[in-house]
Amino acid sequence: MNYGTIGFKAGIEIHQQLNTNKLFSRCESKLTKDVPDTLIKRKLRATKGESGKIDIAAVFETEKNLDYIYEVHNSNTSLIETDEEPPLEINEEALEIIYTVCRLLNCNIIPFIQIMRKTVIDGSNTSGFQRTCLVGTDGYIDTSKGKVLIESVILEEDSARRVSEDKNAVTYRLDRLGIPLIEITTVPTLHDPDHIKETAEKIGMILRSTGKVKRGIGTIRQDVNISISGGGRVELKGVQEISAIHKIVDTEIERQQDELAMNRKVGGEVRNVKADATSTFLRPMPTSSRMYPETDLPIIQTNFKKINSIKLPELILARKERYLKLGLNEELSSMIANSSRNDVFDKITKTGINPVLITTILLSTSKEIKRKLKITSWSFPDKFYIDMFLLLADSKITKDSLPEIMERFTKGETLEEITKDYKPISDSELQKIVSEIVKSNSKLPTGALIGKAMTQLAGRADGKKVAKIIVELTK
Amino acid sequence: MSTVGNKVKIKYFGSEYEGIILESSDKNMHLLKLINGYNVGLPKKGSKVEVLGKSRIGLKSDFAPLSKNKLLPNVALISTGGTIVSRVDYKTGAVHPMTKPRELLGKIPELKKIANISVSAPMSIFSEEMNQEHWSKIAGFVARELNKDDVRGVVVTHGTDTLHYTAAALSFALEGLSKPVAIVGGQRSSDRGSFDGGMNLICGVHYANSDIAEVATVLHGTSSDDYCIANRGTKVKKLHTSKRDAFRPINTVPLAKIYLNGKLEKHSKCKLRHSGKIKVKSKFENKVALIKYYPGMSPDILKCYEDYKGIIIEGTGLGHVATTTWLEPITNLIKKGIFVGMTSQANYGRVDPYVYSTGRSLSNHGVVYLEDMLSETAYVKLSWVFGQTNNLEKVRHLMVSNLRGEYSEKSHPNAFLY
Repeated sequence: MNYGTIGFKAGIEIHQQLNTNKLFSRCESKLTKDVPDTLIKRKLRATKGESGKIDIAAVFETEKNLDYIYEVHNSNTSLIETDEEPPLEINEEALEIIYTVCRLLNCNIIPFIQIMRKTVIDGSNTSGFQRTCLVGTDGYIDTSKGKVLIESVILEEDSARRVSEDKNAVTYRLDRLGIPLIEITTVPTLHDPDHIKETAEKIGMILRSTGKVKRGIGTIRQDVNISISGGGRVELKGVQEISAIHKIVDTEIERQQDELAMNRKVGGEVRNVKADATSTFLRPMPTSSRMYPETDLPIIQTNFKKINSIKLPELILARKERYLKLGLNEELSSMIANSSRNDVFDKITKTGINPVLITTILLSTSKEIKRKLKITSWSFPDKFYIDMFLLLADSKITKDSLPEIMERFTKGETLEEITKDYKPISDSELQKIVSEIVKSNSKLPTGALIGKAMTQLAGRADGKKVAKIIVELTK
Repeated sequence: MSTVGNKVKIKYFGSEYEGIILESSDKNMHLLKLINGYNVGLPKKGSKVEVLGKSRIGLKSDFAPLSKNKLLPNVALISTGGTIVSRVDYKTGAVHPMTKPRELLGKIPELKKIANISVSAPMSIFSEEMNQEHWSKIAGFVARELNKDDVRGVVVTHGTDTLHYTAAALSFALEGLSKPVAIVGGQRSSDRGSFDGGMNLICGVHYANSDIAEVATVLHGTSSDDYCIANRGTKVKKLHTSKRDAFRPINTVPLAKIYLNGKLEKHSKCKLRHSGKIKVKSKFENKVALIKYYPGMSPDILKCYEDYKGIIIEGTGLGHVATTTWLEPITNLIKKGIFVGMTSQANYGRVDPYVYSTGRSLSNHGVVYLEDMLSETAYVKLSWVFGQTNNLEKVRHLMVSNLRGEYSEKSHPNAFLY
């Protein structure tokens, strides 16, 4: 498809959850599958906005006259989420993260931030509105096809999770409601699907570079705005897989072209993307009349001095470059640069230990052990890794003993206790033991001899050393 | 230049902000509503403002004229203020009472199918501002409406903070009540989709059309929008600052549950609708007081009340204060002809002067024990009783008589934490 000739214009909106407590309550941002402690049933009604107009998207939802059922879990929900109590002041940690993101995106930051109520009455917000505030504007990022301008950076509450629905009612779970969400909107000047993909990936990378965002399915969501000549803007919601963007965009262009060919109006609507890249009508595009001030909270005065003193994190891309220079290959550099363990990795590399070994232990060995022992809700503490590698650097243990040490640590033993059993054998003693083994198994081939020796030494000697001795002895 | 309502473009530190100027609470800041709907504040210092034109902003009070449907009952709505008739002032961001309570009806179109509703608004105040004069005025309005033959019942909208005091006041002031009076409020403001006052008002109108002839509060029964509970005006208290179901019956169960569709389930014995004019006895005395006793409290406070006609002491447990320091000053007040009544800060249960010597001694010296009457109700009742008579014997007699269901004949086993 020639995107240039059809007047293709696209912009993206990226929604990223932050890894902090909720934005206006102090509840944990933790999703759950448990049986709810309580169910609450509510209705919502359309209301007039600041300009005296009822938002068209709001009217659309009210006309459905649905019941909304909310699943309440005491572990992650307070009266603020059930719309039974006024909000607490904004989460300072979340505010600092968005300031950091604004700086990374070269934005201007709003001097006085007013928290707004955005009318949302599909039931996904118990109050009938989403609390949201504009924090940054006029930023940019560099891409291979030129600068992409960032229109706005917004901090808002995530909505409740839709669990099920029938003809009369929609059920939501309140665990997700109120988790801080950063929304980044680009100016609609993206040239083609590849450009959309590149932009989305770059913004995602910048967000992850803060180290303060949530990871995993559903923690980042993309919406794409698309228009072509002769039609208006259509918003495609819920693009989960950025790799499917090409197909989704082309399908939508064809749909818009078909509609226009039949002289139908295109634009002003929000559509839901399905797994097969087609989309269905969701609701009309909301208007600005859906916004009014959150009267329960004061205006936030931005402290520019504090913002300028925030130490910006190293971008994941820059980090990866650094790791390539350390001698890691492309794949390992990328993996460890993206990992939340990059901090620990940096600390351990200072000891001079081979970075490939560190990466393997941090990213693969740990996973293998956890898989083998069926551990899901626990991970090795950073301090454990650092202490273990320090012992290795001091030759207090050998690298071949690391997996066993790790496995025993998961069972509750302390590093101190474990390492007693893995003291490396002195060179002269090693020579003696290995000679004995070679002598009494003189018929075995070299490989089998090494295996036997390693088993007998139980990780207390370096494999390379053992091999070297055996090779020399059997020459 | 920075006139409220102007469409402007403001340049500030390399960014341009286009929108409408709103009223700002901070002199040094332009508050701007951007085209995308967000409000932002910009320091006046360093801002370059370019006026683009004028804009019309503000709520238009557009509501359909009320037309009567002869098949529907007539219900009178009396608006006094509070969250239920509040709206956001978009210029200041503050919450204000609606100037025209009929706006409220515009927000709840279902009401048109339930009743013909006439609206009057004797006042528009937050309920913490209510006093005896307001109670009198509201009682007058309610009685006038109820005494109209074609009016089935009355709904009073009220701020929730002191809604239960007014409910008690109306209970006493309306003698020979022959029709229902519902008092409704809202815990969430009407600007939001989750406005709870909508259902409260609908259920209140259903109550006003019912066969119950009592003053009752009608608000959410649970956190859900499934039914409201009607609580007798003398036996109800706001037990939560912000929850929808904050109004709970005390020492009793609700009169009724009322569902959105009009279904009404009675849960206690209540007086029934009958013919007969209502007499307004709306005089309240304000030289009465309600005092909460706490450990370590000095009896010096009682000196402030020496020119009062009566006080209610909200004592501990079964109705106690430290007699070592309080007995003498209380006795002195009583000797001066001041009525002293005793209720309990435990909310639930009955006061009893006989269980402990403290109670016996207070009672022997003339303190009147008010059984399971709520402190707030006792205060309102005392104010009303002194509005009717200054004869202390009569006051005492009236205070211990069960006039409006303020006493429970028996303590209901299901009443605690209903």
